[in-house]
Amino acid sequence: MAAAPEVLPASLVAAADAITAAFPDAVIERTEFRGELTLSVAPEGWLDVLTFCRDNEATAFDQMDNFLGDHLPERPAAPFAVVAHLVSHTHGHRLRVKTALAEGQALPSVTGLWPSADFDEREAWEMYGIVFTGHPNLIRLLTTEDFEGFPMRKDFPLQGTVGGRARTDLRGKI
Amino acid sequence: MRETIMGEGFFPYDPQAGRVPGAADRPHLMVRDGLLQPALSEIACGGLVLPEEPSGEDLMGGVVRFPGGIAMPVQIERVLGFGRSFSFWPLLFGLACCAIEMMALGGSRFDMSRFGMEAMRASPRQADGMIVAGWCSTKMAPRVVRLYEQIPDPKWVLAMGSCAISGNVWDTYSIVQGIDSLIPVDVYVPGCPPRPEALWQGLEMIRERIKKSRHAYDGLRRIPARDLLAAQSGASCEPATGDEA
Repeated sequence: MAAAPEVLPASLVAAADAITAAFPDAVIERTEFRGELTLSVAPEGWLDVLTFCRDNEATAFDQMDNFLGDHLPERPAAPFAVVAHLVSHTHGHRLRVKTALAEGQALPSVTGLWPSADFDEREAWEMYGIVFTGHPNLIRLLTTEDFEGFPMRKDFPLQGTVGGRARTDLRGKI
Repeated sequence: MRETIMGEGFFPYDPQAGRVPGAADRPHLMVRDGLLQPALSEIACGGLVLPEEPSGEDLMGGVVRFPGGIAMPVQIERVLGFGRSFSFWPLLFGLACCAIEMMALGGSRFDMSRFGMEAMRASPRQADGMIVAGWCSTKMAPRVVRLYEQIPDPKWVLAMGSCAISGNVWDTYSIVQGIDSLIPVDVYVPGCPPRPEALWQGLEMIRERIKKSRHAYDGLRRIPARDLLAAQSGASCEPATGDEA
C-alpha cells in the first residue's frame, strides 16, 4: 500500500481557499497533516459552510463519507466535537470539517444536504447527547428506546448496571 | 407411582390433573403444561403394540395400568427422542464471532452432517433448537427470545462461548450478562470461541438429552424473559409474540 501523499492536491487547496474566502469569520483554523486537510469551523457557520462545500463548483463535495461526534473533557469550555469527512467524486479530494460545541449546544442538521447524515446524527446524539436541530427523526438507533444516558461520554461508567439494561439471574431456577 | 411414570422426571406430570375443569369428562386428554392435550397413553395404545412387560431399561420407564388397558408414556417419549436425536436441526442463527466456529463445524472438515445436524433451518418454525453463538446485546435480546419462542416444542438450546454464557469481559451497559437470564439453556459450551470440537461435544450432549427427552425447561416450562417482563410490567424490551400487528 502506497504511503499517503504528503502534498495536498491542487484541487483541494483551491477548494479550501474558496471556503476560507467565502467564510472568513466561520473558518477558525486550517491544519494540514500527512496530506489531509482539516478546517475547524464555528458552530454558527456549520450549515452554511457545509452547504457551500456541497454546492460550490470548486469544492463539489457530493458525498459525506463519515460523520461522528467526540467527547473531549479536557476542553471544559467546548467538550464536544462534531467531525464531517467529505468526499468529492468530481475532483477526487477529501476534506475534514470540524466544529467544537459546549455542553448543551445544538448544531443544525445536515440531513438536508446529505441524506446519509440521518443515521450518523442519530448516533452522535445517542452516544454523546449532541442535539441536531431540524433532524427529521432524532431517536435512539443502537440502544433500546428506554436507555438513559450517553454511553460514549468519557464519564459514563464502563461497568455495571447502567442505562436500564436487562440483568436478571435465573440460573438457579433452570 | 409418579416416579415410576415419570422416570427421571422429564415429563411435567401434574398430579392435580383432576382439578382442571373438563379433564374428568375427557379421559383421552391429560393436563400437560397447564393445558388439556392428547394424553400420551392414547398415542401409545393407538400407535404401537406394547409388550406386556418392560423389556429394557433404556426404553421402559414403567407400565401404567388403568381399567381397560395399559399405557407407557415414558416409552413413547423415549422412542420419539431416539428418532429425534438423529435429526437435530438447529436454527441457522449466529450472533457474533462464535458463529464462525459454528460454520466450521458445518463445513467439510468437521462436518456435523454426519450426525444429522447439518440441516440448519433458516426458519425457527422448522428448527429443533438453537445455538446461541456469541454475545447478545440488549437490543438483540428481544429478537433472540422471539426466535426461541417461535421454535416448536420440544426444543433445546445450546449457549456457545463465554459471551453467551456470562457476557465475558463485556460487563457493560449493552450486553446481556448470560443468555440464560432470558431463555432456558440446555448445554453450555465455554470458550472464546470454543473450538468446533467443543461445539461438537456440546451437540452430542444435546443429543443425549434428546434421547432422554430432557429439557432445560423441565419443571419450569416458563421463559425467564417472560418472568422478567412480568416483573417489570411494561418494560420496553418486550419481545413480540408474533400475534401483534
